[in-house]
Parts: sequence; structure tokens; C-alpha cells
Amino acid sequence: MANALPKPVQRLINEFARLPGIGPKSAARLTFYLLRVGDEQALELADALRDLVERTRFCSVCFNITEADPCELCSDPNRDDHLLCVVEEPLDVLAIERSRAFHGRYHVLHGAISPVEGVGPEDLRIEELLARVAQNRLQEIILATNPTLEGESTALYLQRRLGDAVPKLTRLARGLPVGGDLEYTDEITLGRALEGRQEL
Amino acid sequence: MYISHLSLTNFRNYGRLELDLSPGATLLYGQNAQGKTNLLEAIYYLATTRSPHAEYDNQLLNWDAAETEEPVVVGRLVAQAQTATETKRLEMRLILERNGRARPNSFRREVLVDRRKMRLMDLLGHLRVVLFLPEDVQLITGSPAERRRYMDITLCQIDTAYCRSLSQYNKVLEQRNALLRQIAEGSGSLEVLPIFTDKLITLGSQIVRRRALFLAGLARETQRVHYESLTNGRETIRLQYLPRLAGNGPPEQESVASGEWLSTEEATPTSIKTQLAEVLRQIQPADIARGVTSVGPHRDDWRFLLNGRALSSYGSRGQQRTAILALKMAEINWMTAVTGEQPILLLDEVMAELDAQRRAALLHTVQSAQQAILTATDPAMFTAEFLANTTSLQVSNGRISYAESTGISGQ
Ligand SMILES: Nc1ncnc2c1ncn2[C@@H]1O[C@H](COP(=O)(O)OP(=O)(O)O)[C@@H](O)[C@H]1O
Ligand SMILES: [Mg+2]
Ligand SMILES: [Zn+2]
Repeated sequence: MANALPKPVQRLINEFARLPGIGPKSAARLTFYLLRVGDEQALELADALRDLVERTRFCSVCFNITEADPCELCSDPNRDDHLLCVVEEPLDVLAIERSRAFHGRYHVLHGAISPVEGVGPEDLRIEELLARVAQNRLQEIILATNPTLEGESTALYLQRRLGDAVPKLTRLARGLPVGGDLEYTDEITLGRALEGRQEL
Repeated sequence: MYISHLSLTNFRNYGRLELDLSPGATLLYGQNAQGKTNLLEAIYYLATTRSPHAEYDNQLLNWDAAETEEPVVVGRLVAQAQTATETKRLEMRLILERNGRARPNSFRREVLVDRRKMRLMDLLGHLRVVLFLPEDVQLITGSPAERRRYMDITLCQIDTAYCRSLSQYNKVLEQRNALLRQIAEGSGSLEVLPIFTDKLITLGSQIVRRRALFLAGLARETQRVHYESLTNGRETIRLQYLPRLAGNGPPEQESVASGEWLSTEEATPTSIKTQLAEVLRQIQPADIARGVTSVGPHRDDWRFLLNGRALSSYGSRGQQRTAILALKMAEINWMTAVTGEQPILLLDEVMAELDAQRRAALLHTVQSAQQAILTATDPAMFTAEFLANTTSLQVSNGRISYAESTGISGQ
């Protein structure tokens, strides 16, 4: 059977289908949607994609995604230079910012150590972190990697590498989810919440 | 504990089944290939999240349903489990999603306890079963992997912490082995290795200690049952843990490898950790060269000794059968003792191959169970007295009906 679709249509379907979470059916649906809604919206999307590629980069200080280098968070004079929070991904920065509970600086590793996926320390922004620590007088580094095997291992590795380059090295406390039910909390989370309990 | 209701949708050859079950003994009878084994499999699957027969979980979906053009096919197993103190509704969903011609279908499972979505592991511990299969005897002669599997499934049913450690251990092992290979190739970091090694040691020693205690308890009970109920005191059976806490060579050749010390006072979590750490350190160069972790609980084994000799090599087929029967009967007593609740017994055509004495012993166990579900092609092999106290159900092509009153009827 001849391919009834014009090449540009098939090309966009293929591109959409390469994205995570989008199957061939959704890819076709999106493509035909763009064909139907008219040129303006489709070109808007194309423009946004071009912008994304051309106007964003990694901040040369914290490696978060940014338009201006250094990024807003790194150049904000009101943030505390003595506190540094290390996270796996840019989205983690966003999550912590939303909490409004942290006013220091960030460092984005871009992943966690996972030999199975071929990710070693050299694939993460670890040397850059060590250089930053050597140049700045930090009081505390918060290792906010995920509580997964990979995140924990990365934190342990960083602990080894950082040695006593910084007076205080901390890890996020692991506790109960707010609004959670004690009865339905698994024993590991509950056990850790007990370990990390605080005096009133 | 017992199951009061079982409902199956698109599971094996059951398109749709609603089945009330009562405490006591239930006999499922019918010709071959009608669904007797499948029903026991369903109950076992809800208890353990594992199938004793299927290689892949998606094989459990009814194939007629799976082969339709529907974009999503759902298989469902639901049991009402009654314990002394509560009723739980346990549900497992088998979900097949078709992703079009270009991509492979995806398959996943979902667990709901009392209609709340939970992790797969949270299904464990609500329903406890002991399964008897004719092929159980292969446990003695088969591979160490089968014996580890038996240990793990049995322990996981009563100890969720063990199950969690085991699953974490397997993840750490996978990461560590990948790292060993990368180090051998020159790309891996030697500085990362101790991190995974430490985790392996911590989790590994917990697993070893738990297995040692489990096997010691099970060994005592197996020995008692074997001696008192099955062999009239003529033979002594021993169950021996063979942990892989030493270097190479099959355990048979390592006379000192017995793990019995691990269940004694001498074995503290620290002493096991120290031993595992030491041997991992010694073999690290060899492990790097081969790209695998060659010691640890993932290489454990256990065996039976009959009158001091390995049952796998020196025992007759009959002696091996008797040992397995003793093990399974002991498992029931052990589970009852540690949980305070009787497990559900599932027996798949195991009576036929037993001699009179062993059959009598097993029937006695069945009759004293809170709930036991047996299968047989021919109910005539049971005594009238047994059948009078048993609910008989006929299985025919994925349907279950109460026995007609042809002399084999239940109540
Ligand atoms: N996924 C499946 N979908 C539909 N039928 C199945 C599936 N798996 C096995 N069967 C059928 O189930 C029957 C075997 O049932 P089983 O419970 O083993 O029989 P028995 O009553 O002899 O114990 C066979 O007819 C087999 O074809
Ligand atoms: Mg069968
Ligand atoms: Zn920055």
C-alpha cells in the first residue's frame, strides 16, 4: 500500500511519537489537530520550540535551565550565599522554590548515579559542584537528591567527595506526607519519620 | 483465615466466575483441562503476587479476551479474605494495553486492598496459603534458584520487611553488577563501588539472618512431622541452610559452608555483616574480572539430609516425596505458629501419588485446616466419610457447579 500521507505530515507524526508518553495514535491526533486549527497556532508552536532551543541554556553557576546567564536564582542578591541545595533535576528546583522554605542557592546535578543506565559521577555536574564549594565559603550543603536507591547512592558519593569541605552536610528529612493517614503509611516511611522525630 | 468469595474475570479459562466458598474442605473435581489448577493458581496469585505456573504474568489473561481488538483488556481477581479479626477485599488487576501496530503492547498490574490502590507488595500478608503440587518434589533435585524461590515466597507471605529488603537487595545487586562490568571495561568508578557494596552488605546480612531463622524453625517442625506422622520414627530428616558467605565452589564441596550457626546466638547482625564484608573484599578483584557479585544471598541454597546424607543424591523417589510432604505440612504449622492464623491449603492432585499412610496423614491435616481446597479428577478416590464433610464442586470448561446429588454431594 502506498503511503497516503504527505511527507511533512508523516514527519511531524514521527517526531511527536518520539516524545515520552506519546504513542503513534496520539502523535497522529496532535498532527491533524495542528493541520486543522490553522496556521497561526501551528506557527506559534514552532516558534516556541525554536525559542526553547535558541534562548535557553544551562546556567554556568548552578546548571539550572535559564535564559540569562547566570540565572535569576544565582544573581538574586537577596538569597543566602552560605546555603547550597543540591538537586537531581531542574524540576526539583521548582518544587523546592514552591515550598518557599529555602532561600539559599542551588546546584543541579542533572541525574543520579545509576550504573544500570550507564550514569556515573562523571556524567553529573559533580566536578562543577566541588569547584563551587572550593571557591565559596559555604556553611551548609543540603543534599536533596531523591530517596531512591540512585538518589541515596549519589548523596553518599557526594558525602565522600565533599569530605569536610563544608561545615555542615545535611539530607532532607523523610517523614509523613501531609494529609496522610498513619494507618496507610508503609513501615519504612513510618520508621524513618520516627527516626527523624522532633522535640516539641 | 479463609476466603468467603472469589471472583474472576478474564483469568485463564475463566471468562467470568463468582464463587462462594466456605470454611472447611472443598473438593474441585472434573476432567483434565477444565480449570481446576487455574482456580488454585488464582488464589495463590492473590496471596503471593506470583504464579506457580506462568512464566510471564500476561499469560494469565484469558486469551480470548486478550486477542480481541479492544484497546484495553482487564483481567481481575478479587477475594474476600476473612481473618479472626477482619474482612479484607483483595483485588489484583491485569491490564493489557494495545499501543497500535508499531509498538509492543504494554502490560501492567494493579493492586487494590479494600478498593484502595496500593503497591504490589502491599497485597502480601493478607492472604496466606500453602500450596501442594505433584511437582514439589523437584524442589529437592532442582536448581538452587527454585529452592531460593520457595524460601522467598514463603517468607514474604509473613514478613513484609523481608520482602522489601529482598526487593531492594535485588536492585542494589543489579546496580553493583553493572558497575563491576563497567569497572572491568575501564569506564566504571571504583569510588562508587563501596557505596553499592555497603548497601549490599547491610541488606544481604538482614536477608541471610532472616532465612537462617526461618529455615531453623521450619527444620525443627519438618523433622517432627517426618518422624512422628510419616515414618514412624524410622528416619531422621534434617534441613540445612547453605548460605553463600564463602568463596567459590558448589556448596556440596564445602563441608564448612553449613549455615546452621547463623540461627544461633553467635550470629548477630554485626557478625554476619562482618563475614559478608570480609568475603566480598577478598573476592572483589575476581568479581570485577567476571563482572558479577559471586557471594551473597542471591546465591544461597538449602538441602535435606536424610540420616545424614544428601537426600537429592542418595534418597529414593519415595523418600524424597515423604520429605517434601513433611516440609509442606511443617510449613502450615510454622505459619500458624508465627501468625496466629491458619493458612489456606491448596492441594492440586497430590493425593493420588501418596501411599496409604501418607495419604491418611495429609487428609488429617486437610480436615483440621480452617480452609482447604483440593482438586482431583476422580472423587471416588476419597472415602465416603471424607466426602460427607466436604463441599464438592464440579469444574467444567471454566464453570463451576455444585455437585449433583449422585452420592458425592456435599452437605
Ligand atoms: N490464558 C488462558 N486463557 C484461556 N484458557 C487458558 C489460558 N491458560 C490456560 N488455559 C486453558 O485452561 C485449561 C487448563 O486448565 P487447568 O486448570 O490446568 O485444568 P485442570 O482442570 O486439568 O487442572 C486448558 O484447557 C488451557 O487451554
Ligand atoms: Mg490440573
Ligand atoms: Zn544559576
